[in-house]
Amino acid sequence: MNSYLARKLLAVPIILLLTSLLIFSAVRLLPGDPARLMAGMQADQATVETVRHRLGFDQPFTIQYTRFLTRALHGDLGNSIRSQQPVAREIAQRLPYTIALTTASFSIAILFGLTFGVLAAIYRGTWFDNALMVSAISGASVANFWIALMAMNFFAVKLGWVPLMGAASWRSYILPSLTLALAPAAVIARMTRGSMLEIIHQDYIRTARAKGLSPAAVYLKHALRNALVPIVTSIGLNFAALLGGAVITETVFNWPGVGRLMIDAVRYRDYATIQGITLVTVFFVVVINLLVDFAVGFLNPRIRFN
Amino acid sequence: MPRLCFAFLLLALLGCRPLTHPKDELIIMQTEAPRTMDPADHTETYTTAVLNPIYESLTCFDQQLNIVPQLATQWHSSPDGITWTVNLRPGVRFHDGTPFNAQSVIATFNRLLDTKRGLAGASNVRRAVLSVEASNPLTVIFHLKAPFAAFPHLLAITSIISPAADHDGALSLHPVGTGPYRFAEWKTGEYVREVRNENYWGRMPAPAEIKWMWTTEPALMNMAIQAGEVDAVNPLPPMFADALQHNTKIRLLKGKSSAVFWVALNTHYKPLSDVRVRRALNYATDRINLVRSQLRNYGQPAAGPLGPATADYSPDIQGYPFDLAKAQSLMNQAGYSNGFPMNIAVLENQANFAEALQAMWSKIHVQVTIQKLESGTFAQVIFGSPEQKAAAHTDSVLASWSSASLDAERQLGPLYRTRSWSPAGANLGFYSNPHLDTLLDSAAADLDPITQQATYKQAQQIISDDAPQVLLFYSMDLAALRRDISDLWLFPGGDLELAK
Repeated sequence: MNSYLARKLLAVPIILLLTSLLIFSAVRLLPGDPARLMAGMQADQATVETVRHRLGFDQPFTIQYTRFLTRALHGDLGNSIRSQQPVAREIAQRLPYTIALTTASFSIAILFGLTFGVLAAIYRGTWFDNALMVSAISGASVANFWIALMAMNFFAVKLGWVPLMGAASWRSYILPSLTLALAPAAVIARMTRGSMLEIIHQDYIRTARAKGLSPAAVYLKHALRNALVPIVTSIGLNFAALLGGAVITETVFNWPGVGRLMIDAVRYRDYATIQGITLVTVFFVVVINLLVDFAVGFLNPRIRFN
Repeated sequence: MPRLCFAFLLLALLGCRPLTHPKDELIIMQTEAPRTMDPADHTETYTTAVLNPIYESLTCFDQQLNIVPQLATQWHSSPDGITWTVNLRPGVRFHDGTPFNAQSVIATFNRLLDTKRGLAGASNVRRAVLSVEASNPLTVIFHLKAPFAAFPHLLAITSIISPAADHDGALSLHPVGTGPYRFAEWKTGEYVREVRNENYWGRMPAPAEIKWMWTTEPALMNMAIQAGEVDAVNPLPPMFADALQHNTKIRLLKGKSSAVFWVALNTHYKPLSDVRVRRALNYATDRINLVRSQLRNYGQPAAGPLGPATADYSPDIQGYPFDLAKAQSLMNQAGYSNGFPMNIAVLENQANFAEALQAMWSKIHVQVTIQKLESGTFAQVIFGSPEQKAAAHTDSVLASWSSASLDAERQLGPLYRTRSWSPAGANLGFYSNPHLDTLLDSAAADLDPITQQATYKQAQQIISDDAPQVLLFYSMDLAALRRDISDLWLFPGGDLELAK
C-alpha cells in the first residue's frame, strides 16, 4: 500500500510540471498581443513597448518559463497582467467561492442522483422510473446556462424569492448550486439505476431477501454498496466536469469564483492568471482522482491498491 | 419524495425577505471589471468610471461639455501656446491628509512622463508635455513639446494623485485622490466600494456609498436592474432598451457619443488606392438602415469624422448619402465595374456590422470576406505595418475611435495624420494628405477658437472628400437607471458620472 501511495503521490508533481510547460507554451501560441491590450488601442507604439518590457514579454521563451517555474516553486504564480496583483492571491480570494459552490452542487447532485437512481431501479418499468429517466436525460442534455437564465428570470426577477446574483448570503447559493447540480445529478441517477439493476438480480441479493432482511437493508446495505464502485468513479470524473461547468454558471450568476476569473483572464490574454488557474485546477483534479482511487479500493477490496 | 421537494422549497422560502439594499447606497453595474485602481495605468472607460468619484483633475467637463475649473482655479497660455500656467485651488487635501499643491501636480505628471514606469495610460501626456515646474506652491507651469490649444482638455482627463500614496505600486490597489468619495474596499471579482468623503471641498453628493459591480453577461444586467438589485446598468445593450423603456420603474439615460465607427480602407491595396472606389463604397453604404437594423436607432448615421460630442464638430459636412447608382458609376469610372474582393477585419462582437456591409456592397459587386477576430488578435492585426497588412491581406478594418478628452486633435490626429500610420498611431489605412497634415498642425496650435474651428471644419471636409474610411455611425451611449436615482449623467464615451 505504501509503495502504491508513494507512486501516486510522486506522479502529482510530474503531472503539474508537464501541465505547466504545456499551458505556458499554449497560452503563448494564442494569437494576440497582451501588451497592446494592456496599453489600449489608443496607446502609441512606444508605450506598448514599455508595457511589454515591464511585463517581461520581450524576453526569450526559455527565460520566461524558467522564471515562472522558479517563482511557482516558491508559491508565487506571478502577477496578473491585467490587474498587476499577485495571481496566487487572486486565486486564493476566489477559490473558496468556487469550492463552496461546487461542494454544494455536488452534494445536491449526489443526494438527488443516488436517491432517484436507487428508486428508479427499485420501481423499474413503472411510470415513476420512466418519468425519472426522461427527466435525467433532459437534465443532462439541456445547457445549464439556459436553465440558469430561465430560473433567474422566474425566481429572482418575477417572484423575488432568491437573490439574482453574487454570493452575499446562503440564499445566493440556491439558484447557482441547483443549476450546476442538474447535469451531474442526472448522470449519477442514470449510473446508479444501471448499476443497481445489475446488482439486484444477483444471487446474493436473492439470498438476502430469502433470509428475511428488510427491503431497506437489502437495497442500501447489500445492493447499493456493491453498486457504488462504478458510481464513485463516475462521481470523480463528474467533479472535474463540474469545475468546467462552474465557469459558465459563475459567469451567468456573477459568482466571484475562479471560473469567472478564468473567463476574464482568457478575454484579456492574462497569461499569468490563465497559467495559475490551470495549475490549481489540475492540482485539484489530480487530488480528486487520487481520492476516488482510494475510495474505490475501500469499497471493493478486490481492486485495492493494485 | 414529493415531501422532500416540498421541504426544500419551503426551506428556500423561509429564508426569503425583500431583496433590497439600503437607499443611501448607490449600486452601479458595468460590463467590465476595473483593471486597476491606478488612474494612470489604464485606458479603459469603465475603470475611469469607477475611479472618477475618487480622483479629480485640474479641469473638468460640465454636462454641456464645457471645460470648467476643478482643482485649478484658472489657467492661461503663453502667446505661442507652448507654456501653460495653472493656478491651483487652495485648501484642498487628499484623502490621506496630504495637502494638494504644486508638488502633487508635478508628481502626477512626472510619473506619467517617466518611461521606466511604463504606465499604460501615459500616451496622451507624453505626446504633449515636455516638463512641469512650480513657480509657487499654488502655481504650476507646463512646458509643452508643441503648441497645443486643447491642453485644458488634456488636463481634464489627467487625475491628480497623492504623492505620499504613490510608492511600490500601492496606488494600483489603494487609490488616494481629492474627490467626493474615498476608496473603501476592492473585493476582486465582486465589487469596489467607495464611501463619501466628509471633508470634500466641493458640493457634497447625496449617496453615502457607491458600490460598483460588473458582469460580462448582458442578460444579467437587464435582469439585475429589473429586480432592483442594482440602481444603474451601464452600458445598456440596445436590444434591452426598448423593453426597459416601458418599465415604469426604470428610465433610460441617453448620451451624446464621441465614438465614431468606421471602416478604415487600406489605401495601399490597389482598388482602394483609387479615391473613386473609396467614395463608391461610401455611397453604397446605407447608414440609416444600418443604424435602424443594427442599433435599433440608438445611434446616428455618420457624415463627418468627428462625433457630435467632440469639440469643433461640424454639422455642415454632408458626407455620402446612400446612392447606389452613383456608387456603381464611380466603380465603372475606376475600372471596377465587376467589383473586386476585399477583406474586413472586425471584432467578433461587431461582426454584425460587417455582415450588413457585406450585403450592401455586394450590390456594387464588391465581394467582402469577413475576418472575425477576438480582441487580442484584433489589436495585433489592425496595428500591423503596411508590409504586415499586405502580407495578411488586411484590406480594411472595422473599428471605432473615441477621444476621452473630447478635442478634435485627439480624434483626428491619431487617425488621419501621415505620421500616425500604424503601428505608430491609428491611421490604419495608411492615408496620407500633406495638406491635411499642415492644417491639423496649425489647428492644434491655434489659440483663437474661431479660426481654429474654421480650420478643423476645413480638415473635416478634406477627410470626407478623400474618403480614407467609410464612416458608419456615431453610437449613442445608453444606460438604465432606477427611476428614483438622479444626479448621474453619461459622459461621451460611456462612463457614468456623478453630477457635480
